[in-house]
Amino acid sequence: MLEVRAIAKTFNPGTLNEVRALQQVSLDIEAGSFVIVIGTNGSGKSTLLNAVAGTCVVDTGSIRIAGHDVTRWPEHRRALLVGRVFQNPFSGTAPDMSIAENLSMAARRGQRRGLGWALSGSFRDGMRERVQRLGMGLEDRLDNAIGTLSGGQRQALTLLMATWRRPELLLLDEHTAALDPRSAEQVIQLSQEVIARDHLTTLMVTHSMQQAAHLGDRVVMMYRGRIIHDFRGAEKRRLRAEDLLARFEEVRRGEQLDESAADMLRRAYV
Amino acid sequence: MTLLIGALTVGLILSLLALGVFISFRVFDFPDITADGSSTLGASIAAVLLVNGTSPWLATLAGFGGGVLAGATTGVLHTKFKINGLLAGILVMTALYSVNLHVMGKSNVPLLSATTLATQAETLATRGLGGAASLDVLGWDVAARDLAVLLSVLAITALVGALLYAFFRTHLGTAMRATGNNPQMIRALGVDVGNMTVLGLAVSNGLIALAGALLAQYQGFADVQMGIGMVVWGLASVIIGEALVGTRQLGLVIIGAVMGSVLFRLLIAIALRAGLNPNDLKLITATFVFVALVLPNLLTHLRARAGGGAHA
Repeated sequence: MLEVRAIAKTFNPGTLNEVRALQQVSLDIEAGSFVIVIGTNGSGKSTLLNAVAGTCVVDTGSIRIAGHDVTRWPEHRRALLVGRVFQNPFSGTAPDMSIAENLSMAARRGQRRGLGWALSGSFRDGMRERVQRLGMGLEDRLDNAIGTLSGGQRQALTLLMATWRRPELLLLDEHTAALDPRSAEQVIQLSQEVIARDHLTTLMVTHSMQQAAHLGDRVVMMYRGRIIHDFRGAEKRRLRAEDLLARFEEVRRGEQLDESAADMLRRAYV
Repeated sequence: MTLLIGALTVGLILSLLALGVFISFRVFDFPDITADGSSTLGASIAAVLLVNGTSPWLATLAGFGGGVLAGATTGVLHTKFKINGLLAGILVMTALYSVNLHVMGKSNVPLLSATTLATQAETLATRGLGGAASLDVLGWDVAARDLAVLLSVLAITALVGALLYAFFRTHLGTAMRATGNNPQMIRALGVDVGNMTVLGLAVSNGLIALAGALLAQYQGFADVQMGIGMVVWGLASVIIGEALVGTRQLGLVIIGAVMGSVLFRLLIAIALRAGLNPNDLKLITATFVFVALVLPNLLTHLRARAGGGAHA
């Protein structure tokens, strides 16, 4: 479903601020699987997601989604295949427009937008029921501006919008990181429901070890722009948050060791 | 009474300008000053065609088309060539000055003997009233021709306002509003933000040129200078309109922009009548917009300070 082949991305190349965010990253995701990408700040997990979404263009490598080579597709064109929920609850909805209008735009994700009524009667009829399933009472506020809603409500709506038309690939970018614990729990619940119900191929980025351990059926661990571990199958099912922490600690210490060894050699021979 | 009707008529004509400015400044949050050139472009295209005997409707429509092209040009400069929005508008506006002179062939085209929408409305009124030159409206003696022009302009404005409202409720129009409101979101839903901006500026400047074309027909000439200060004028109308309706509801905002334009024109007419020097008009308009932009922040600031003082 998603084939990422040896992609690399360097920000500010050739300057002091050069950051090699992705270094030859390859990742294959089968249809219907729910993959979690975990990593510390600067591990490249968000860049990976942005590369797949088309927000940033990779320097080398290729990306295929559902059989299409999308490497050179601009972001808005990839929207045909990809549904997205952002980290910032304000990013995924138009605040001055009503819930109904926002949903009507999501219903045409990646489609041609002509001069038909955005809020036709038939669309309105189907909308109420789907909003009701969020369990937030928003079905009675369909004509209210999105800007009047809480972060959790906006994020739940963004999730509904991203999955209104079944996406070939669902991208979740730390989509609960900015929410209070209760709302985060609610949005995770809703995410799991829709992913299971529609058998969505999902790529979720998080820095929560808890989420990585409990959700999904595969965990990809990133560090300094590379994939350092891929937990799948039985290994993923046994995985606990502590194991992830321990693995990160191990990598970090290994690197410190490298550095102190290099330091020692330098002192001895240079 | 003639003064009042005149002010209403011009106010309604310029409300199309206000709607154009509303699209660029409010829907897109794009400070597009192409308007100063595109309103004159609409006027000059219409005027030249009218002098050459083209049907008034066709000439007016051609003026609208000219504005669409001008707006699209600004949009392309901004989105495809990555030129700052304000500068893109300045470039097109400056270029249009020469274009307008070429279109007209001189700096001023009088429409004295041409058939225009205004003369057509007058003819219609004279025929309808069996030749009476004036009629009694609520005790006022009103010239039939003035009233006819006012009513036709009202009809055109209502039609354009309704069309704009309808457009903004279609799939395309909804996506256009969202492009201004949250580009990141609408891109993720598959809309090319650049193309949408070009389309929006085209519609905006089309309306502004339409206002120019109608104004030329009403005042009986097109002049290369007539567009100066149009952006600020439109912005003032939009701001007054927002104060009048005090909501973000689409339909009311559109009606507000029209009312704002009419009210602003009336105020100006009264001020001029009371002895205001016409040379000061643009200075006063600019000052008004400045105050309207600064006042809300200033009030909040003062209120916060007063509140802080109360706590201390």
